[in-house]
Amino acid sequence: MKINSVIIIGAGTMGQGIAEWFTRQNCLVEMVDQNDEFALMSLERIHKNFDKHLAASKLTLSDVVHFKNNLKVKKLEQINPEADLVIEAIVENLEAKKKLFATLDQLLSPKCLVASNTSSFPITQLAQGLSQQRKKKFLGLHFFNPATVMKLVEVINGMETHPQYAQDLIEWFNQRQKVACLCADSPGFIVNRVARNFYGEALRAAETYDQEKFKEIDTVMREVGGFKMGPFELMDLIGIDINYNVTQSVYDAFFQEARFKPHRLQRDMVVANFLGKKTNKGFYHYES
Amino acid sequence: MNPNNILVVAHPDHPNYFEIIKHYKVRTIDEAINSFETYDLVIDLSPLRTQKKFLFLKELSRTTKAQIISDLTLCWGEWILKYSPQVKAAVSTLFFSPNNAIEFSLRDKSDLIGRKTITDFSEIIGSKPIEHKNLALSFHYPRTIAMIVNEAFFALGDKLATATDIDLAMKNGVNYPLGPFEWGEKIGLHNIAQLLEELSTITRDERYKLATELKLQAFKNF
Repeated sequence: MKINSVIIIGAGTMGQGIAEWFTRQNCLVEMVDQNDEFALMSLERIHKNFDKHLAASKLTLSDVVHFKNNLKVKKLEQINPEADLVIEAIVENLEAKKKLFATLDQLLSPKCLVASNTSSFPITQLAQGLSQQRKKKFLGLHFFNPATVMKLVEVINGMETHPQYAQDLIEWFNQRQKVACLCADSPGFIVNRVARNFYGEALRAAETYDQEKFKEIDTVMREVGGFKMGPFELMDLIGIDINYNVTQSVYDAFFQEARFKPHRLQRDMVVANFLGKKTNKGFYHYES
Repeated sequence: MNPNNILVVAHPDHPNYFEIIKHYKVRTIDEAINSFETYDLVIDLSPLRTQKKFLFLKELSRTTKAQIISDLTLCWGEWILKYSPQVKAAVSTLFFSPNNAIEFSLRDKSDLIGRKTITDFSEIIGSKPIEHKNLALSFHYPRTIAMIVNEAFFALGDKLATATDIDLAMKNGVNYPLGPFEWGEKIGLHNIAQLLEELSTITRDERYKLATELKLQAFKNF
């Protein structure tokens, strides 16, 4: 499989990271966001990252010049219709995503592969409404934050995706220091499902808002379990609202399976705007 | 405390068994309750669930007046501490730790001798002791890791991905030190299944239901 030109839709944290990673694979990358200014800010951040790597001698000057030339911000109407791959990384809103895919289906050449970086919607559901031809070339590519550092890409086939594309993409990623894993189109895919009880069980062990217990559990999970962060410090970093929404979404998608049940403490903290580091208050308190 | 005056009750399947027998007198459960030897302390590392543990500790207290440090990895810790007065401290040593560390909890948080004894024991078996001050239902690490391994088996049963890909995904997507199947193999699926069954029995909460594939593999020798 050859992937020379890539379009990333959505210039938020994930979109920016994915765009930077593909640029560093020598692809021609176009980054699109509904807010042009926001896209330009992301472009600037990526340029700064390249400069930092240059300063640290991790990239050469010619690499940096080459990468900067290969990465452009475009409006949706201006994208290259002959791109090899388009990755959507916009906000997790089903209607917004479906609307975008319908537009892309019209704009892009039939040869183009289209992928979603969704963490919560079924790929088959996102493909509804696309042309039959496109459905065969539509799949999930779930990257992890920060996309330039984390190696995993979950590759997900929808019910009508031609399986060869996933196989080819897995091979392509694996040749480029990513670890691509094939995964069925099932709620939470692999990581967001298997990791649920890292948080869920810790919340049940803590039971109530008690910082001494949070600290103890975090210490045990780091020191005994060998995890880089404990569940409470990680929830504070991710955002308690985001973690709660993922849990709620997996719980609903599994028809209220008890082992995915959210904890009332999560809900209470979201209501109280204790969302973690971003609000300076979460399971722990932070200086502003 | 002189290791010669300490009796350790352990099964040969215990992860630190070979280190322990180098330094301590080690007895099986049956040998311990039929022994007439005297000790200052018993370190009980038997892999028993709450009811059997309680009965064993009761039997043990008939043969020795020594205080007991007991491994409550597979037990309702709070209950054992409440109803087995000879147990001065609880430890959790049965589950493989990637950092070779163990959780412990003292009945009396100001028990300096108890803390020192556990620290010395940990040092001898090459582990780092981490104090757990709020032992209630169970130790933190075993219950959490058991749930993660169980979910991986549910996912495998649902044909979500291969075991190899699930392990790779957890290590490369969220930096787990081991994949859940690798972890399960190190800990022993039987231990994981026993703990989840115990949590299910105590709480009556459906969340601790065992994945069929885990149950099949864990109890294949029964």
